Order: sequence, then C-alpha cells, then structure tokens
Amino acid sequence: MTDLPVLRDLGVILLAALACALLARRARTPTIVAYLVAGLVLGPGLHLVDASEPVDLMSEVGIVLLLFLVGLELSLDKIRDVGRVVLSTAAAQVGLTAAGGFGLSLLLGFPPVEALFLAVALTFSSTVVVVKLLDQKHESDSLHGRIAVGILLVQDVVVIVALTLLGGLDPEGAGDPAAMLRGLLASLGGMGVLVAAALLAARRLLPRAMGWAARSFDVLFIWSLFWCFLFVAAAEAMHLSVEIGAFLAGISLAQLPYAHELRRRVHPLMNFFIAVFFVSLGAHMELGAALEHWGAVLAFSVFVVAGKWLVVTAALARAGQGEATAFRAGVSLAQISEFSFIFASLGLASGYVGRPVLSILGAVGLLTIGGSSYLILADRRLHALARRAGLLRPFRARPEAEDAAGSEPRGHVVVVGMNALGRRIVRGLAERGEVVVAVDSDPAKLAGLPGRQVLGNAEHPAVLEEAGLPRAKLLVSALQIEDANNLLAFRGRSAGVPTSIHAFDQAVVEELREIGADHLIVSKSAGTHRLGRILHRLGVTPG
Amino acid sequence: MIGLAVFLLGAAAAYGVARRLGVPTTPFLLLAGIVLNVLDLVPRAILQDSLVLGLTFLLFVTGIELSPRRVRAQRRAALRVGLFQFGVLGAAGVGLSLALGLDPLTAAYLGLALTASSTLVVVRLLQRRKQLFEPFGRLVVGVLLLQDVLVILLVPLLTRLPEGPASVAWGVLGTAALVALAFAFQRWATPLLVSLQHEEEVLLLAVLSVLFAFVGLADALALPLAAGAFLAGVTLSPFPVSGMIRGQLAPVAEFFTAIFFIALGALLSAPGPVVLLHALALAALVVLATPPLVVWVAERSGFAARPGIESGLLLSQTSELSLVVGLQGLLLAQITPDVFTTLALVTVATMVLTPFLATEPVVRRLMRLHPLARAGEVAPPSGHVLLLGCGSGGMPLLETLLALGEAVVVVDDDPEVVERLREGEVTCIRGDAADPEALRQAGAGRAKLISSTVRRPRDNRRLLETVEDVPVLVRVFDDDEAAWVAELGGIPVMYSEAAAEEFLRWFDRLPAPAGGGAANRNP
Repeated sequence: MTDLPVLRDLGVILLAALACALLARRARTPTIVAYLVAGLVLGPGLHLVDASEPVDLMSEVGIVLLLFLVGLELSLDKIRDVGRVVLSTAAAQVGLTAAGGFGLSLLLGFPPVEALFLAVALTFSSTVVVVKLLDQKHESDSLHGRIAVGILLVQDVVVIVALTLLGGLDPEGAGDPAAMLRGLLASLGGMGVLVAAALLAARRLLPRAMGWAARSFDVLFIWSLFWCFLFVAAAEAMHLSVEIGAFLAGISLAQLPYAHELRRRVHPLMNFFIAVFFVSLGAHMELGAALEHWGAVLAFSVFVVAGKWLVVTAALARAGQGEATAFRAGVSLAQISEFSFIFASLGLASGYVGRPVLSILGAVGLLTIGGSSYLILADRRLHALARRAGLLRPFRARPEAEDAAGSEPRGHVVVVGMNALGRRIVRGLAERGEVVVAVDSDPAKLAGLPGRQVLGNAEHPAVLEEAGLPRAKLLVSALQIEDANNLLAFRGRSAGVPTSIHAFDQAVVEELREIGADHLIVSKSAGTHRLGRILHRLGVTPG
Repeated sequence: MIGLAVFLLGAAAAYGVARRLGVPTTPFLLLAGIVLNVLDLVPRAILQDSLVLGLTFLLFVTGIELSPRRVRAQRRAALRVGLFQFGVLGAAGVGLSLALGLDPLTAAYLGLALTASSTLVVVRLLQRRKQLFEPFGRLVVGVLLLQDVLVILLVPLLTRLPEGPASVAWGVLGTAALVALAFAFQRWATPLLVSLQHEEEVLLLAVLSVLFAFVGLADALALPLAAGAFLAGVTLSPFPVSGMIRGQLAPVAEFFTAIFFIALGALLSAPGPVVLLHALALAALVVLATPPLVVWVAERSGFAARPGIESGLLLSQTSELSLVVGLQGLLLAQITPDVFTTLALVTVATMVLTPFLATEPVVRRLMRLHPLARAGEVAPPSGHVLLLGCGSGGMPLLETLLALGEAVVVVDDDPEVVERLREGEVTCIRGDAADPEALRQAGAGRAKLISSTVRRPRDNRRLLETVEDVPVLVRVFDDDEAAWVAELGGIPVMYSEAAAEEFLRWFDRLPAPAGGGAANRNP
C-alpha cells in the first residue's frame, strides 16, 4: 500500500496550496495567485511534482467543473436587462484589445501566429476572479457588477469559439487551407449538434427528469454530474474541447429552479479540483523564460490593466452608463484569465506557440490578476481619486450618485426551516410589519409565504449570505436538525446577529446555550402549556 | 474523462434505482460496478486511484461524524450493547467461518467485518423516521460509533497478524501514536480553523491538507491509510469545525464515495455456488443473531422490549467498513477474491434487507415472540388521566396534575423516565403506547382522558382507532397531522402553533431597536 503516487502528489499539492493561500490571505490576494505561486515553488523550484496521469486528469476535471459552473450561472434573464450595453461594450473590448494586443506583440517582435495567440489570450478577463471578488464585496447584484459579469459571459462564448477553432485546427494540416476549413466546419458542426442537444434537453428532458431527482438533492447532484460528464465525453468523441461540453451541460441545467442549490454543491468539488489545476499549471510554468522577456511581460501587463480599463470605461460611458458604474466595471475587467493559460497551453500542445509564450502569459497573469484584485477591492477609493485628479473628464460620462448599498434588506429577520413552526413565525412577523427572509431547501415549503424567500441548505454560508445574515437583526431557526441548529447558532453569533433557535428536544438545550443562542424556542414546553390549557378547558384541572 | 463518465453513468443509475425503491444506495452502486465489469466497460486506468481516493474520503467523513456528544445519556448503554454485540457476533462470525472450512486468518477477517453495522444506512433511516432523538436512536448511534472505532483500530492489527506478534506490537504502538497525535491536533490545532469560516475555499484546502497529512503519516508508520483517513476525520470532529465543513465536504465525499463503491463492485469476481452458500450463511448469521443479542443486552441496560427490538433490527446489516476491511485484506493478498466477493454479497444483501426488516409489522411480530417479562401492574383506577409518553417536556404537566389530586397513569418506553417516575410513586407502565397490551394494562378504555405525546404518527392513528368514548389529546407538529387527528376524533394539540405564539410573544417584548418593527418602518 505504500506505493501510492496519487496520494503523495495530491498531499504535496494541497499542503503547498494551503500554505500559499494562508499567506495570500494576509495580503488579500486571490487564491488563484497563491495556487500559481505554490505550483511555481513545487515545480520549477523544488521539482516535487512531475506530470502524472492522475494529477493531469484531476486538473482537467477542475476545468470541466469550472465551466460547468459558469454555464450554470448563465441564466438568460440575468443578461437580458443589461444585454445591449453588455454586447456593445464586449464587442468593443474584445475587438480593440485583440487588435491592440496583436499590434503590440508584433511590435515586440513575435511572429504573427504567436502574436495572434497572445492577442486572443490577452482579451479574456477572469470570470472566476471577478465573480469571486464581487461576491466578497457583496456587489454581484450591483449595476457595475452585473455589467462586468455580462461582459465576462460574452467573453466566455468567445473563449468557446476560440477553443473550438483551435480544436478544429490540425497542426499538420496547418498549411492546407482546405483541410483547415474542413476541420473548422467539423468542429462547428459538432458544436452545433451539442448546442442543439443541450437546448432540446433543457426544454424537453431535463425539467421532468431533474424535477423527479430533485426531491433528494443527492440524486440531483449525481445526475447533474453525470449529465456534465456525458456532454464532456460527447465533446471528446467529436474532437471538441471538454470545456465546451461542460459549459453546454451547465447551460442546459441553468434554467432549472434548483440550479442555485446545484451550483452550491458543485462549487466545493470545483474548488478542490481547480486548486489541483492551478498548482499543476504553476508547476509546469517556466518563469525563467519570462524573466528573459521581462520587457514584454511588463508591456503586456500595463497594456492589459490600462487598456482594458480604458476601453471598457469609454465604451460604457458612450453607452450612457454613469461615471462610477463605467469606471468600476472597467477596473473589474483589468486582468487576464485562467482561460488565457488554457488557450495558450492548447496552443503549445498543438505546436503553434513556443514555451516562452506560455511563461510570458503566466507572468502577465500573475501580475494582472494579483494587481487587479487589489484594484477591485479599492475601486471606490480609486474612483474618487481619479475624479479629483480630473482623469475622468474626457469620458464625458453622465455623473451619477454613488449607488446606495443596494436594495438588499437590512434590519430584517432571517427564518430558517419552513415547517409548521417556521411558516407560522414568518406569517406572524410579516403581520407585525417586519421584513422577513424565509430559507428552506424545499421549494414546496417556501411557496405562498410573505416576504422574500431563499432556496437552499442553510448549512452553506452562501445561503445565509444570500439571506443577508450580516445585516439582519435576528436569525431564527425552526429546524428540527440538531447539527444545523447548532451551526446556525454559531454562525449568528460570529456574525453578531442575535439568534432564536428551535430547541425541539430537551437533549439539545444545553449545547445550544453553550454555543450562545440568545433565545430558545422550547416547543415542547410551549406545547405542554397549551396542553394544560386544553385540559383546563375540558374540565380536568380546576383553577 | 470517458472513464469518469462511465463511473458517473453507473452512479446515476444506482442513485435513481435506489431512490425509486426507497433503499440505501450503497448496494446498488456495488451492483452497478458488477454490471460495468460484466459489460467490460470498467475504466481500468483510473480504477486503483478511484479506490484509494474513495476509501480515503469515505473514512474521513466517517471520522468527522464521530461525535460522542450525540449519544448523550445513552453512553453507558451504548458501550454495553456495542461491546457485547461486537464480541459475540465477532466470535460467532469467526466460528461460522471456521465451520465453513475457511482458514483462521480469513475467519478473523470475516469475523471483524461482520461486527460492523452501516452508519450510512442506519443514520439515514433514523433521520428519515425522525427517530434520532429517541432514546433507542441514541443507543443505536452510540453502538455505531463504537463499532467504527473498534473496527478501524483493529484493522492495522489484523493485517499484521501473519507477520507475528512483534509486528502486531509495532502496529499497536503506531496506532496509539497516531491516535494520540489526532487528539492533540483536535485539542490545539482544530480550533484555529474557526478563523477561516468565511473563506470556504481556504477552509476546504486546510481540511483536505489535514486529511492528506494524516494519510501520509499513517503510510510512514506502515499503517493502513484507512486508519490515517479516519483519524484525520476524528481530529476535525468537534463543533463548530465539523459543522462548518460539512456543507463543503459533503459533495466532494459524495462524489468520491459513489465512485469508490462502483470501483469496488468492479473488483468482484463472479460468485460460484460455494461463495453464494458462504454468503448466505454469513448473511443469515448477521440478520438472525443481531436482533436477539441487542435485545438481550438492551433490556439488561434498562430498555423496554420494543426499542430493543427496533435497535436490533436496525443494526442487523454489515457496513461499508466491512468492505474496507475486506479490501484491505484483498490488497495485501491475505484473503482471496472469492472471500472478498462473499463479504460484498453479504453487505449488499443485508443492506437492502434493512429498510424492509426494520419496520412496524416486523417489530410487532417480534414483540409477540418475545418472552414477555412485564412486571404485573396493579389494575389502574378508572376515571384517571392516562399520559402516553412523558419525557422531559411532560414533567410540569404531570406535576400539576398530581398536585391537583388527579389519578394519573403514565406509559413510557424510556427506562430512565419509568424509573424516575416509579421512585416518585407515580403509577407507571414501561412499554410502548402502540402496544395494545400496555394500553389494556393502563386502563385506556376506562380513563377519563388520554393525552398522547408519542412521536410515531402510526401509533397515534392506531390509538385513535382503538379507543372509544374517551377524549384523546394528541401532540402534533405538522398541519396535515393535525387534520387527520381531528378527523379520527382526536383533539390535536398543535405544538408548532404554541411554539410560534411563544416566540412571537418573546419577539414583541424585545426592546425597540431589535424588535417591534418600529425601527424598520422609519429607517
């Protein structure tokens, strides 16, 4: 049993990733950078991790799950309200950045094919980084947040097309335009088949099948993963990239009412595999080459940060968006993406680009992702600074009141568990004029309640986040699940929100008190009082 | 990728069928593995890695759920029942295996494997039936925890048995060192993880790092990685860390364990008649011997017949850990593939049987077989108030009734409650409210009023159907339950409504900024 390379490699990768992530946490740097650094330390630094088949497979699973999640995110109404603005801005951004990148690469002396790859790779911004940071700042729902996410999704479609084109290109036939065209057509045809299958399934097959499965989330989870990998296998069989398969599988499930909860379940799995992916990506990076090309790295990095910000802000200002929105959306997108690396490594694998390009992009990625995450976290202050310096005047954007903290509820009551007790509490609080957010994992139990509803398992922090726990004035749990109640009492306490928890059995009281629940709903004693009153009414007990 | 898709195809089918039939998924995952093997679809390239990773995650999660606090008041009873069942069933398993002509080492493996009952199956059943908080539910959970610990800590010793006593001694030492480290880590390092509660990603990394560090350590000490993974889980089991990571870890573990069981199924050889016969004999031993053993000790620990029988039926299957024991032996070539297949068949059969055995009709039939030793009760007066179930919540009511001079008779199945009440000279019948004999003894038909706080809806239904002309108050929580109680002529006492009203009264009394809603209306 001692010869188990998977466990050894995974252990080394995870420990290094953890060490770097803990350090990165202090510097408020996103984990992606930490993982890449961990990989750099393990691979080029210590030579602890070599390419091994299981680790490669896990990396690939990471990409698959990431794209599956991006697909799951793509609900149509999310883009619809910012659709036109997003489309025009994304077109301008993709077109101008690609053209500028191509020109800059040629200027720096890269041959045209490599320049093309660099240009495309520089165009993408990182969905994961942006979505994560927006989430961290609770700005996913803000206008600039939605616009940024919309642009990222358009970019994702461009990524898919680019990957398809790359998948359809056969390096040996590169000189033969007819073969290239055939490859392209075959890829597009295969993609067409997959898209049609995804859309058809989304309308005809999945709502019923998944509706049946959704009564138990374990079944839903496994079925969805199977659906994802079915598409991945189909894409592989048609010589398309696995990314497309995963993405389309995600889209076909995104319209389902349980997509939200599904996303929460796939998320940890993705986190695990994607860490493996980024660390092994870093491990295969050769920054030595990047050091040789430090001039190019610097030039590209400045181009990405300044250029993307400039293009996006200008395009949004022209489209009539307010100054703050345009500025902050621009700042959000000023980095390159993990897809840039994927794209370049595919290019490397098919022999279009040399290893230095990958190293340069790696270095640019490190710099821009690291740099822009600081910028995003400080975007409000940056905007005020730029404004005072008069930098924003040339955009002639419509001035705009600083967006208020949003329409998020504040001073509301979060009630978890819509059983007979929870529903009564929600109704009673609503009658008293309180703003109530009801949480349950069963859509049927949330039906017909007043106030806002959040569907999901309250043991996930993201669900409580969505219910606005940090701004709530009270957290109530009516659940009859000991572990969940203990956790809710704990979460309430650490968020500084008072809690009232259902102590449905004498046995759970002591621990809830220890954890620091502020009030216990002792249903049995309340019920016994009622029993006593009924007995009294029946004439059993005098007085 | 295609290999993974095939595994997930098997998993999807198994989950679907198991969900349709309302039985545990594990046996169907194994069956899916067998089917894939027969169709020659198994992705050989990732088979071993899937087994290793799956095993690691399965035991890790088992370790995390190991919280002795769940057992609470039933700790001592669980220890007695668990040790007795473990010892006797293990010995019987070894004896039967030897009688079937197997060699002593194989018999030891089978004996150890048979002692474990499935936490995956039982806890889920208890949860679904809302019985986790009944005294017998806690007893069963306690027994399961004890079995997990015993089995996992004995595996390293078993694997070293052929190498002689010195090797076993080193195994004991290594295991002890790892256990000590686990508890030290649990005490000093685990609380530090709380500071990561808002960073899911880093928390997951940290948790998995603990897992792989322990697995690596176990490997360095030449212990099975199962022990390392399990102890890694134990280090993370204290609240709140266990709660914080459950949501994160559950999907990861679900994914890997599903693949694990399929890969395990793919390892099985086609069973010949001898294997089938052995499997049948061992499965019969587990199913037939466990309930009487558990009932016998449970009653000596103060449990009534019914909860004893229910516990025994719930525990009468082999476990995912049995498969781990077998896999360990198979990988070390200490047992043959046929023995491993036998063990897998026993597990599949007993796991599938459990939801059909641990049911009301079977319990009632066994109650009739039980050599009833209920102490003869004095005939209760007529015109009394009959309380069915009198847990902690019912005490104040009982005291009020007694203070008012009402004649009260209590029927309860919790041995502790019965003992306490009898000490207070309350007429008390130990038994189950669903038991017509207990009702007859308690004079249900002559009572002036019956109040039921028993949990099982079916018991209340039967009670309402048998008792006539006596007002019956029934504790209910759900609205639909209240509806049918009223329909059957009972008087529903809505605990949820009472609790909601009490909550709202508390809420109304809160000072203005926190409650009352005034702060809200003018922000």
